[in-house]
Amino acid sequence: MDFRFTEDQLNLREAIRDYLAGEHTPEVLRRLDVEGGRDAAIWDGLIGMGIGGLLVPEAQGGLGMGLIEAVLVAVELGRANVSEPIADTALVAAPLLGEEEQAKIAAGALKVALAHPINPWIADLDSADLVLGGGGAHSAPTDPAPLDTVDPLRRLFAPIACPADDTLLDRAALISAAQLIGGAERMLELATDYAKTREQFGQPIGSFQAIKHHLATVAVKLEFARPVLWRAAYAAQQRAARTPIHISHAKVAATDAAMLAAETAIQVHGAMGYTYEVDLHFWMKRAWALAGAWGDRAWHQRRIEAAVIGGGMTIGPETTFASELNHG
Amino acid sequence: MDLEYTPEQNAFRAEVRAWMEAHVPRTPLKTLEGREGYDQHVEWERTLASGNWGMVTWPEAYGGRGLDLIRWLIFEEEYYRAGAPLRANQNGIFLLGPTIMEYGTDEQKARFLTPMAKGEVIWAQAWSEPNAGSDMAAIRSRAVRDGDHYVISGQKTWSSRAAFADWCFGIFRTDPESKRHKGLSFILLPLDSPGVTIRPIRQLHGETGFAEIFFDEVRVPVANRIAGEGEGWNVAMATAGFERGLMLRSPARFQAAAKRLVALYKEHAATASPAAHEAVLQAWMDAEAYALNTYAVASTVIAGGHIGAEASLNKIFWSELDRAAHRAAMSLLGATAELRTLPDGSANIWQEGYIFSLSGPIYAGSNEIQRNIIAERLLGLPR
Repeated sequence: MDFRFTEDQLNLREAIRDYLAGEHTPEVLRRLDVEGGRDAAIWDGLIGMGIGGLLVPEAQGGLGMGLIEAVLVAVELGRANVSEPIADTALVAAPLLGEEEQAKIAAGALKVALAHPINPWIADLDSADLVLGGGGAHSAPTDPAPLDTVDPLRRLFAPIACPADDTLLDRAALISAAQLIGGAERMLELATDYAKTREQFGQPIGSFQAIKHHLATVAVKLEFARPVLWRAAYAAQQRAARTPIHISHAKVAATDAAMLAAETAIQVHGAMGYTYEVDLHFWMKRAWALAGAWGDRAWHQRRIEAAVIGGGMTIGPETTFASELNHG
Repeated sequence: MDLEYTPEQNAFRAEVRAWMEAHVPRTPLKTLEGREGYDQHVEWERTLASGNWGMVTWPEAYGGRGLDLIRWLIFEEEYYRAGAPLRANQNGIFLLGPTIMEYGTDEQKARFLTPMAKGEVIWAQAWSEPNAGSDMAAIRSRAVRDGDHYVISGQKTWSSRAAFADWCFGIFRTDPESKRHKGLSFILLPLDSPGVTIRPIRQLHGETGFAEIFFDEVRVPVANRIAGEGEGWNVAMATAGFERGLMLRSPARFQAAAKRLVALYKEHAATASPAAHEAVLQAWMDAEAYALNTYAVASTVIAGGHIGAEASLNKIFWSELDRAAHRAAMSLLGATAELRTLPDGSANIWQEGYIFSLSGPIYAGSNEIQRNIIAERLLGLPR
């Protein structure tokens, strides 16, 4: 029993975080907002960092890593509010595709959109080469018509009918939860930084308890959402029987943390938070978007309820971790 | 990351389980807040000690087993699984013990730790004063040096266990000219010392739980001081850290409550409000999250890390989780919630638990103080 990341995992996280902090700044988000949301140079940079091949076996030109690493990277993608379809393509679709597609994804030469009946739309269909859904992958249609959405950097399209695929749903929900956690962390930082510099009554507003308590409450929510996410990643990596329940818990916890962070951050920013000029809105809107994607809070809570109240799943060491207590 | 128990950990669990099944009293003990129940709980401490289960993480030299925090979590899981009684010596083993381990002399360790682990000496806290609650640095009770003794005068309040306990630990002003955090010292003394008067305080539920302690020129040897004269504040902050941190409220406690809450919900599902339904699931998820976080922190501590202000995150989470879970239970019980004894003759443990849960966000430093600590020390906001 050792609930820590390895040195290599922590180094990977730091490398991705540093890269995105330097290359994927709020100024980039503002440029993308004007120019239409996507930039080949950003995609190439993410591929150059190895994210494309993160989950692709080494034989196909990838790094051969697992879902714990994928979740750590997805948190950083959320923290930087990356909008390229890298999470769906590399962190969700790649391990579910064949060797040929995996090699292309590792090289940055293939983009995948994800279809599932749980979503009333499909993201990034315009840039996709393939659509992956229940029943396999198909060529993406040409020139789909975009929907009008709240997140200026997210592109949504009318859905493509396909059967449900539980593994796809679970993987996508896990990676969405990770991005929500990253976004929540960033919103807490944005609000905290603002509270340190904005002065009223002759002092920084962050010296007032009303502001402190708001932000501390977000810190608590985040602190107790993160290990739920990590456990879900571990369970998915081990293909443990209770993985779907653990992922649902992660999605609910991450959604709650992100929604609380978003509302708290706008409140701490005061009227400035209500402007387009302050960067906060990019993360806030992404939180709203990901909160509803791949099963909303109600859907995931129902799945937990079915196990806990309907199915008699107990709580404690028999179920908290991946395997059975007396396994082996 | 390896979230599997090792064969050795599973064997340890089996050992604890077998011992608990053989020794945990079949009938619930009377309340710890009354004389009879207190004596029963002290007896249980001694039974635990007879199995060498007093404090498994302590070194063997002091009555422990020298085990790591993961084993401690396993021990606690089995403790709650067996429905074992509350720990009468919680103040000693979870707060003062770790403090002496860190700041005490070898002589003090030998003198105080083993009797603590064996349940021979039960400890009370003597920190708060009528005008020093959240603002603990406003302490006025003084300890005046007289040769190799201190002469203590003043008043402490909200002292848990003080009505029946043997000794107390607290901070006193040893430098009469000092202000605030300076000039305080951490001192231990027997509650049957001449000049000590104890007045139990009747609590919300009608029982006496904590007490006031009056000191009228009580003579205490200087050897009973932990760490240097004037260093009491730092020692007390370390003790407070233990209190808010990992050990005081182990996750098994809340997992056990969540399990009972789900069972209660099933009995009352037909009449449950949507809010109670939501709260039951939230309590289950939060108890699970608390366990996961505790295992993560324990893993870090085992690897040499340490908990500082992060303990405040913990204290807020478990205390608010506990209150919400019991509030949900009261809602599920509807009009039955007001009965202290249920029609089947059993005690209404949800009502007792709800009343107790209301103290959680207050004791061990109010949650408002914890939020200040998080904001200032973890987020870096200005004072």
